[in-house]
Amino acid sequence: MATQADKDKSKAGDDAILQWVTFHLDGETYGVNVMQVQEVLRYTEIAAVPGAPGYVLGIINLRGNVVTVIDTRHRFGLTPGEVNDNTRIVIIETDKHVIGILVDSVAEVVYLRASEIETAPNVGNEESAKFIQGVCHKNDELLILIDLNKLLTHEEWTELEDI
Amino acid sequence: MSQRQDEVLQSYLDNLLAEAPLTQPAEQPRPVSVLEAAEIDADEARKAQLQRLLQSARLRVEQIAEAEPEPGVTAVPVAEELPTDLAALYQLLQWHDNGRPLWAQQKFEALLFKVSGLTLAVPLIALGQIQPLTDELTPLFGQADWFMGLQPSSAGKIYVLNTARFVMPERYDPQFEQSARYVVSINGVPWGLAVDKVEQPITLSPEDVKWRSTRTQRPWLAGTVKAHMCALLDIPRMGKLLLDSDRNSKGINNQTRERV
Repeated sequence: MATQADKDKSKAGDDAILQWVTFHLDGETYGVNVMQVQEVLRYTEIAAVPGAPGYVLGIINLRGNVVTVIDTRHRFGLTPGEVNDNTRIVIIETDKHVIGILVDSVAEVVYLRASEIETAPNVGNEESAKFIQGVCHKNDELLILIDLNKLLTHEEWTELEDI
Repeated sequence: MSQRQDEVLQSYLDNLLAEAPLTQPAEQPRPVSVLEAAEIDADEARKAQLQRLLQSARLRVEQIAEAEPEPGVTAVPVAEELPTDLAALYQLLQWHDNGRPLWAQQKFEALLFKVSGLTLAVPLIALGQIQPLTDELTPLFGQADWFMGLQPSSAGKIYVLNTARFVMPERYDPQFEQSARYVVSINGVPWGLAVDKVEQPITLSPEDVKWRSTRTQRPWLAGTVKAHMCALLDIPRMGKLLLDSDRNSKGINNQTRERV
């Protein structure tokens, strides 16, 4: 029979605290799971790849490895932005794939309980809505949490590997 | 308003009143005073009046929700586990055989508001709160173009509807996104209507409205308020439509349900 301590531990596990790396994009604040973030780079020259999909900015050389960089604004259906001193490339790993996503700036790491994350609406027919895992009102702002595992489909990952 | 805009607006209203009698009514409508200058947040007396009316409307909603269905009305089946506000909203979806909705079988209060130059009337019976649109309004990508964003409030997140784009997409002016000042929430659903200006509440008799007989298209449009030449929204229907349009809601507010 479960003891009270077991129940408390189970309850705490059900409402785990997760860390999210937050970044800004087109005036809004987004968050991604810190466990999927490898590193954050200052903006560096991105080599364009002819024939690459529209959401691909190009490739960079990361310590001898070729990393594809995604145009996050394009992926989310946002208006194009300008590169400035705050622009960063966030290197993420998902399902054994490593890519970079271009963001306007990186903010901070926030700690969120699972219970604090609320469902976001899903109205309309845009495929990009599936990227949103949830929302959370924290520190007087609304964080939009991104599910990086849905950022690219299996077919798109395969396509990127041929770049 | 330019002459062109006047013509567009008049054309829209003419379409709504296409079957209205051409003869003038026997009695001229009572002049209605319009608070043109005062913003709602600068007029405490009017705000207090609105809050009282909203409270009485909520009481009326509870009465309707508890009443037995009348003859000639098909009761809307409501799952017992639905939150009270949502269950009440579902009851308000009913229309009687006399061609009027349940909430307009007798005199009812309605609120007038401005949306991109158009005046719209909304029955108070299904309204929640009126609050300013703030810079906390957060758009979400990948949503329908009539979705303005999420606004935090004391009662939880409000999904803000771009009312101008939703009601008249063919005449939408992007300026509305800057001019919208308030969000009027719908009871029972996490949705609210963005509006430019909230005007005075009015009392309407069922006879004051030209009711739509067929509502296959634009089911959220109940009819036209003759004296004010403005559209009357079927807010309960609109709330249900918005709720159903959200693939993540499954027709009910799961968060509210969890709290219950």
